[in-house]
Amino acid sequence: MIDVIWATLPFLFVGLWMTFKISIVTIFFGSILGAAIGLLRTMNVLAVNLILGAYIHTLRGTPFLIHLYIVYFILPTTGISWLQLEAFPAAVIALSMYTSTYVAEIVRAAIQAVPRGQSEAARSVGMTALQAMWYVVLPQAAKLMIPPMGGIYVIIIKGTSIVSVIGIAELVRAGEHATQRHPRELMLIYGMVALMYFAYCYPVLRLARWAEGKFGTMDTTG
Amino acid sequence: MNSTQPVIVVEDISKTFRLPGAEPVHALRHLTNHVERGEVLVVIGPSGSGKSTFLRALNGLQPVDSGTITIDGVELTAPKANMDKLRQKVGMVFQHFNLFQHKTILENITLAQTVVLKRSKAEADEVGRKLLERVGIAEKADRYPSQLSGGQQQRVAIARSLAMNPAVMLFDEATSALDPETVGGVLELMGELAAEGMTMVVVTHEMGFAREAGDRMIFMDEGAIIEEGEPTEMFNNPRHERTREFLSQII
Repeated sequence: MIDVIWATLPFLFVGLWMTFKISIVTIFFGSILGAAIGLLRTMNVLAVNLILGAYIHTLRGTPFLIHLYIVYFILPTTGISWLQLEAFPAAVIALSMYTSTYVAEIVRAAIQAVPRGQSEAARSVGMTALQAMWYVVLPQAAKLMIPPMGGIYVIIIKGTSIVSVIGIAELVRAGEHATQRHPRELMLIYGMVALMYFAYCYPVLRLARWAEGKFGTMDTTG
Repeated sequence: MNSTQPVIVVEDISKTFRLPGAEPVHALRHLTNHVERGEVLVVIGPSGSGKSTFLRALNGLQPVDSGTITIDGVELTAPKANMDKLRQKVGMVFQHFNLFQHKTILENITLAQTVVLKRSKAEADEVGRKLLERVGIAEKADRYPSQLSGGQQQRVAIARSLAMNPAVMLFDEATSALDPETVGGVLELMGELAAEGMTMVVVTHEMGFAREAGDRMIFMDEGAIIEEGEPTEMFNNPRHERTREFLSQII
């Protein structure tokens, strides 16, 4: 058993590294895009809300696998050169868009959960709408965003396993390969895969918890 | 600025709230009033009478449909008015304080000074500490709002407005959310400001304050000024039936 572990570990680490890369890049772009969409949705411009609402609900109401197929298999059939994507960028684009819809809703809900009196008070001392948002509303909204954000990040990390279907050798895919080499060690190998996911996800959850506690010293009630 | 000119000139303002599926609400109907420099105008009236809308219109938090509002010579209803600049001159104290919950008491007072007035941190701190001293809670400078009583929070809110050197202070039922034992301190502070010559518009149910600090009082109902006069005179001899009714209910 030990020798199977030894023989398998290096492959699994390569897979873990790919999972790490995809999830980090996805979380980065997905969060920026999502934060921008969430912010725009709080500004109550009808046309903007309709367009962004359609984006969010379409993506959330359809399976991620379909988005991935569209980006990787269907867009290239248009023949447009810049839509001929390699597996990695295709996976990152599809995942980032998917992530952005969840981040957007978290950001929007958190901003709207900050009492209106806070921005009114900021405006009443002469701050512009932008200053009020930046100095008064966002810092308080950030605290509310942390717990759901941690949850969404962990779901995305685990969800990256789906991109194995377009041939990306991430952690689950690496585990599959290993089981082909050691067909009688399914339990052991998938156990190792699961442990690796846990070792990655658990600190993320702890980090979110820690951040929540750190910002928790100031009270946003009232 | 000509010092004989009223600080607040409100000419014929109207505001109607139209919500889908509901009757339109005429919050303000052709309201006209002037407030002289150093004058304390008390606004009373039943809830829904438009007094809060009137107050919020004075610093542009509530845009009006028609009419003009001029503060310290600057028309805020002008299409190109710089509202942010104007709001610096018009301090506002809210019923629920609305202190910045994520900032310490001192930071609550320094934030707009550094961000809006571009004062240095040291200068803003100095102004902030002086003002905290003045409103009597210097020892709480490093606490957070949630750690203070309502009355203390409201005094911080007043200090926060004063830090901008406003020409006018607006008070929107500043004591109605307070525990009874903390009301006195806030009213006292408001009285001091009035005595120092601050121009104030005060929406309140505190009739004692109205009598002592108020120079003039208006009674509003259904978006219009029903009666106007010297507070004590109005309390003793309300001319209008609705004023009489309202006063009999609250005293």
